[in-house]
Amino acid sequence: MPDDEDPIIGDGEEDWFGDADPRVPDASGAGGAGGAGGGSVRRWAGNELRFVDPDREPDLDLPGSYVPSALGESEAALRELERRLESNRTPAFPIDLRKRLPLEAVWRRWRALAMLGRSDVVDDFGRDPRATARWEWLFEFLYTRWFRVQATGIENIPMRGRALLVANHAGTLPYDSAMVMHAVRRDHPARRDVRPLVEDTVFHLPWLGPMMNRIGGVRADPANAERLLEKDELVAVFPEGEKGMGKLWKDRYRLQRFGRGGFVKLALRTHSPIIPVAVVGAEEAAPMLGKVTWFAKNIGIPWIPVTPTFPWLGPAGLLPLPSKWYVQFGEPIDVAAMAGRRTSGDAADKPSAAYDDRLLVNQLADQIRNQIQKMIEGLLEKRRSPILPAYLG
Amino acid sequence: MPGATTPSVGGRVVAVTGACTYLGGELLRALEEDPRYTRVLALDVRPPAQTGGGPTRPGSKIEFVKLDLTQPTVDGELATLLAHAKVDTFVHGAFLSHPTHAAEWAHELEDVGTMHVLNACAGVEPRRFVMVSSTLVYGAHPKNPNFLTEDAELRGHRDSRFVNDKVRAERQVQRFANEHPNVEVCVLRFAPILGPTVSNMYTRFLRRVAAPVMMGHDPLMQFVHEQDAAFALVEAVGSHATGPLNIVGKGVLPYTTVLAMLGRVPLPMPHFIARQLTNMLWATQIVGSPPSFLDFLLYLCVADGSRARQVLGFTPRLSIKRTIHDFLGIAPEDGATDIARASL
Repeated sequence: MPDDEDPIIGDGEEDWFGDADPRVPDASGAGGAGGAGGGSVRRWAGNELRFVDPDREPDLDLPGSYVPSALGESEAALRELERRLESNRTPAFPIDLRKRLPLEAVWRRWRALAMLGRSDVVDDFGRDPRATARWEWLFEFLYTRWFRVQATGIENIPMRGRALLVANHAGTLPYDSAMVMHAVRRDHPARRDVRPLVEDTVFHLPWLGPMMNRIGGVRADPANAERLLEKDELVAVFPEGEKGMGKLWKDRYRLQRFGRGGFVKLALRTHSPIIPVAVVGAEEAAPMLGKVTWFAKNIGIPWIPVTPTFPWLGPAGLLPLPSKWYVQFGEPIDVAAMAGRRTSGDAADKPSAAYDDRLLVNQLADQIRNQIQKMIEGLLEKRRSPILPAYLG
Repeated sequence: MPGATTPSVGGRVVAVTGACTYLGGELLRALEEDPRYTRVLALDVRPPAQTGGGPTRPGSKIEFVKLDLTQPTVDGELATLLAHAKVDTFVHGAFLSHPTHAAEWAHELEDVGTMHVLNACAGVEPRRFVMVSSTLVYGAHPKNPNFLTEDAELRGHRDSRFVNDKVRAERQVQRFANEHPNVEVCVLRFAPILGPTVSNMYTRFLRRVAAPVMMGHDPLMQFVHEQDAAFALVEAVGSHATGPLNIVGKGVLPYTTVLAMLGRVPLPMPHFIARQLTNMLWATQIVGSPPSFLDFLLYLCVADGSRARQVLGFTPRLSIKRTIHDFLGIAPEDGATDIARASL
């Protein structure tokens, strides 16, 4: 068998690879095919040369043109593939030169460098495990040294299964969502990941938005939240949203309207328990003395905050003041049961439609809001004097 | 599936427009081997490779028929052809894979061409109508959820004729489906197709050495491998699935990570400058993507493929990582580059 022989010793020099080439049909076929095959081996070797020999069958290179050949259809398919590969190649760099220079090593090194600090696998919502690990030290520093967070009631978060964390919101930048996220990842026995829902204004901020997305933030959208809860994740939601972040110093720790109660609908629809979360300290971290709205719209943000540090110190003013933080996780609330109690009368036979009852949803949202307000007041009482201990802790 | 539910085993006649596109060619190749189909009409302006440059090849069931959808009376011609050949499945894939400066011609081909195709199909009423579309029709928008389902609004794209022509074609097909309940209408919305042999807007964009990055923005991106895409189209032609279906790959990756995996040089620039620059380069035909494409580098446009899994039974085999490696020509085992196929 010619296949078994050492091709260099066994065959003539001009077509030594002929039979060993898997793309060429077997030349030792019976009858007429044998003759055609024998000719085609040399023919194939000639075709290999057509890149160097410009005046040999120039129409071969025209896209779509097909020259009937004794080799049959496999060659046509092969040539089509070859044409496509050839047309896709970057023409800027001479291919032969690339084969001689050790560029492969350089190129590989460059790709490894570019991939530093990022993972080639992210989850469906863009959380990058390597980027998260990269920023871990910053959150750990903020958590233990800067804000000296005291988290209580973390055992109320289930070891597995879905839950909706509902928290109050404050501060010019969403440090509170980062701290809630970090508290659970750090202190919960199951080290669960919380996926905070980020409002649009923050999510589309340059640099900050993508960074929050890489470490686990998700754009606040009912479809996203529902999908996450269906996957049995922990979702943190800040129903005050933009209004919560835009609170002035005089309104601190006074909860704003809880959106349109979307989070209650979400919990009812996905059968998730709601865990109320109270965060105290975020208001003092960035006390908003006033806000400028007239120019802010032009640069795509709802307002420019005025804090004791912000416009005056430039970007450094966005760093939070070192206030002492308390985070309290409340007992899980079974919203479906609450809804059932409220509608013991006529609607009790179809509890699945409870999220369509606007009045009920709003009532439940308000009830949860009151509960968080009470938790906040409890924490504030623990802190006693309002101003100085807020920072000294 | 029991034989009763399969339409006329062994006797199906398929007509494919856009036979010279990547998906059209792969479809022809698959239909050629499938004994369920007896005759395949490849409709395009030039013969596809599968017919060997002529009208047909001996022993093949594929026949090439020259058909230019931009001709004003092509619908009558097509109707006669469909009735004569007793076509029961029509695959409409004559869409451009990358934007062109000949916007008028593109409009004639995609929007008006779809109208011609639907006019012909309205008379003949084939049993099945499959259309090739793209997830770009959802548009990149700051309000998009992370996963767009098939019932999401087709926003199209502000001043992008490339996308908007496809949206208009889809709307026409939707109307056609409502008016002709006897026809099983299926629209496949493919995520950007990536692979070693396919050529489209995204492959051209990602084959360049450098790529613009909108400063401070890094949306998630989604691709589908060319083999998965071709497989999905073949499955859709043979199935009974109706309605729009997103055909997407497994997994998503941030745009800058895609560039890093490909070894491309990111060029960060503020997006108002990038828009002016791309406008200039597009007008002078130096770059192949219009300025409106930059929105896809700013905002999400990622679709959810779960309906295709339920209705069509299609699950992508290759992850986005493997797709990118294949696009680069990196073998899966050791990560070493196949030097002949690598595009630096």
